[in-house]
Amino acid sequence: MRKLRAFWIRLLGMIGTRRQDVEFAAELEAHVALHTDDGIRAGLSPPEARRQALICLGGIEQTRQSYRERRMLPWLETLARDFAYSLRRLLKYPAVTVIAILSIGLGIGANATIFSMVSRFVLRPAPVGAPATLLTLQTMHEGDPCCNEFPLPMYKDVRDQTASFTNVAAYDELIPASIGGSGEPERVWGQAVTPNFFEALELPMVAGRGFATGEDNAEEIVLGAALWQRRFNSDPAIAGKTVILSGRTFTVVGVAPATFHSVDQILNTEFWVPLGNAPQLAPNVANFNSREMHWLAVVARLKPGVTQAQAAAELKTVAAHLAKTYPDTDKGVGFVIQQAGLLSPKQSGIMHLFLAALGIVVLLVLFIAGANVTNLLFAQAAGRQRDMAVRLALGATRGRLQRQMLIESVLLGLGGGALGILLSLWSTRALSALHLPAPVPLNLTISVDWRVLLYSFVLSVLCGLLFGLAPAWAASRPLLANALKGEDALARPGRRFSLRNVLVVAQVAMSVVLLCITALFLRSLESASGIDIGFRSDHLLAMSVDPRLHSYTPERTASFLTQLRERAAALPGVTSAAITDTLPLSLGGRSDGFSIVGAPDGGEGVSTDLYMASPGLLETMGIPQIAGSDFNKETAAEPKIAVVNQAFVDRVLHGRNPIGVLVSGGGVNYRIIGIAGNIKSRSLGEETRAVLYRSMVQNVGSDPALLGYTVVVHTAGNQAGVKEELRRQIHGLDPSMAIFNEQTMEEHVRNAYFLPRLAATLFGTFGFIGLVLAAVGLYGVMSCSVSRRTREIGIRMAMGARPGTVERLVLRQGLVLTLIAIALGWPAAWMLAKVAASFLYGIQPHDVFTFAIVPPFLIAIALFACWIPARRAACIDPMQALRTE
Amino acid sequence: MGEKTDIWQGTLALMALRTLETMGPQHGYGLARRIEQTSGDQLQLNYGTLYPALLKLEQEGFIRSRWGVSENNRRAKFYELTKAGHRQVIKAAAEWEQTTAILALFLAPAEEA
Repeated sequence: MRKLRAFWIRLLGMIGTRRQDVEFAAELEAHVALHTDDGIRAGLSPPEARRQALICLGGIEQTRQSYRERRMLPWLETLARDFAYSLRRLLKYPAVTVIAILSIGLGIGANATIFSMVSRFVLRPAPVGAPATLLTLQTMHEGDPCCNEFPLPMYKDVRDQTASFTNVAAYDELIPASIGGSGEPERVWGQAVTPNFFEALELPMVAGRGFATGEDNAEEIVLGAALWQRRFNSDPAIAGKTVILSGRTFTVVGVAPATFHSVDQILNTEFWVPLGNAPQLAPNVANFNSREMHWLAVVARLKPGVTQAQAAAELKTVAAHLAKTYPDTDKGVGFVIQQAGLLSPKQSGIMHLFLAALGIVVLLVLFIAGANVTNLLFAQAAGRQRDMAVRLALGATRGRLQRQMLIESVLLGLGGGALGILLSLWSTRALSALHLPAPVPLNLTISVDWRVLLYSFVLSVLCGLLFGLAPAWAASRPLLANALKGEDALARPGRRFSLRNVLVVAQVAMSVVLLCITALFLRSLESASGIDIGFRSDHLLAMSVDPRLHSYTPERTASFLTQLRERAAALPGVTSAAITDTLPLSLGGRSDGFSIVGAPDGGEGVSTDLYMASPGLLETMGIPQIAGSDFNKETAAEPKIAVVNQAFVDRVLHGRNPIGVLVSGGGVNYRIIGIAGNIKSRSLGEETRAVLYRSMVQNVGSDPALLGYTVVVHTAGNQAGVKEELRRQIHGLDPSMAIFNEQTMEEHVRNAYFLPRLAATLFGTFGFIGLVLAAVGLYGVMSCSVSRRTREIGIRMAMGARPGTVERLVLRQGLVLTLIAIALGWPAAWMLAKVAASFLYGIQPHDVFTFAIVPPFLIAIALFACWIPARRAACIDPMQALRTE
Repeated sequence: MGEKTDIWQGTLALMALRTLETMGPQHGYGLARRIEQTSGDQLQLNYGTLYPALLKLEQEGFIRSRWGVSENNRRAKFYELTKAGHRQVIKAAAEWEQTTAILALFLAPAEEA
């Protein structure tokens, strides 16, 4: 403690030095005067007394020096001096400093951006109280690759039969509802939770409280902070007031904190209601008694002192017990425990792979940038060898010189880090603005948090040290005699490959890898944009409503949608209009396994995507009708009919004429009345899937859409005017109807290109940066080599070498370096390409075009980078060159 | 005049503290003279070493200083013990006694076993 106090005082002693020096001088003066007085009293003459006093003191200057050293921290003082000196030097060479900071800044910026994704999706704990002891539980059936949700009875068994947890809560992850409040009604997403949910999460509520025990069926609601702000003006007295949720009245009991959207940190849900309300809000999701329907996510709070392993062991015995009690349903079912807030094992594999690929790429960028900085520092070291030699000759230690040079490069690293953070602030915002085309609300925003800042800081310092180490080492060991004579003192005799050449080879090799990966993703985007999606994307306008959220009966829903279609079709500027449930390319919707009724194949059938269709959907969407007829005037009472796509005909019916055939999926029979063209149903990259269109009016009652209904209109001209008109028609039918997912089909399809576009953008940016940096590096090394060989070239030219020969000499040197680099980088890229395989659309990871085009392209760039110094070499005037120095 | 003893490392601080405890506030020169007197003039201080030692004690919070006027009317800086300083004298003295006692055991004439 005392030592720390003294340390602080000494640290503070660094400031106000002058005043303290003056004060100590006065104290010493008083000391000498007192001693002199004593001497005079003892009979000495005044000058002699003063002389004696000074001798006893041991010298004023020495005393002052030792006092100063005690007052401050001497090592800190020299360090500060080195810093100031380094800073002055950096400012004296602004060009070098700016280029170095820009290089490192780009590298750190790229790394910080990717790390902010890692921080967001891998490291960030759940936004709940004490996240370390909150676990998510999932069921896993023996032999399944991954996990599933809980059926309600199984959740209750786990809750009641375990002792490891203080609370086990369950919730239905996504429930749509329309909510009142200020402005037009809005469709929002929420969760239905067991009453102990908020207790288990230990969330600090912004206002009010969570649910209390026994409120299983209470008509109460907890609002998300964003929703509270948006629709209730952050009313501080909201608790106790009522809101209308899907036509029913709920009492607000509390407001959840703004940081909390969902335990998994991906879904963006905005309200919470007790689980007992689920059947009214989401009719065909909730099934309270089935042990087979897995629909509830479960979180559990560990008891203090209980480890995750103990909890897992206990769950294992519970699973064994359940398997015995309910052999029909629970046999082979186990439980998986995971820290809450992490990606579920289902998503984490692909995400980790994606981040790893990006991580490798940005590290490559950083190393390429760093090699440039090292090269620059080498060049600078060559320029200051004389300065170094003089300082060494005057007695400075090599360690001191190295330390000072390292401080310089660390300062460069930190400058680059600061720039990198600025860049990543911008890039994370740009990335957060991209939208996944999912029909459910996702919160995928990334930002620069403290983990990213810390990572960037450490990375910057490491970069500074790493990239400055070799130049500092070399610069502090000049051949003294050479340096003082003014000759090159860093070039050691008899060394063919300098470290700088090795660096530039490494740099170009890395950029080969980078370019190959970049080219792969650009090719992938190109091939994705050539994908035939099977329906038109222009002149289509879509908006969605969900009458069920407004307590419509199936009959009323059907008539609402039918009227809406008729009104929309009659609008001026509209060629045709139709109703469906979810648009294609929404990452998946309803699907069932289909097979021919009566066929003896058994099994699960062919996985088929289901779309609801009103009459005219195929025509409106521009999906070709190959045979048969469209929906027309069927009614809910008639047997169900369907139109299927070509892929369905090929796979389910094995090519036989489908018209009139009865097929069955999900326990429902459909008679096929027509064939349509294939479409991309879930995502662009998919193998063409079997699709079945079922009649809207026939299914609204028996098997309604989960995510609402979408009206699609085909417009002749401007969509903007029609959009307003269409909104007016919907509100003309029901002024309280919430409208969502308003978009043109072009916007929707553009969103579907999210993944290939994101990958191509990221890799393209990094690839470009890497290429530019490597070219600059090559240029730097070559032009440095030319200026070092000025005399040699002068002699060659004096001996009769022509400018062309000299030019070729330099180009050849650059070319050799590049070829070595390609020979190293190309195989590495070939191996790494496999990692990228799962993100590519329509091309092979070992795409011949990519791997054939990159080497010549890089050679061209390299030749260009070497051409400028080569030109300069050719322009050397032999007389001038020989006279230099 | 016999050979004067050099001051051992670290003992100067304890001497200064102890002297300040017995004498009360004192300036640097007076303190130095007093230490020499207390040692029966066996110690000869290099007065210059006293000031960094005093500064260290001040930084550690055992003493504090302020400007005052000496008995012969000269402005001088006076040092005095703080509360922590009083505690430190007791603690350091005990430690020192223990050290010397242990050392004495080693230096005592060897007894026949």
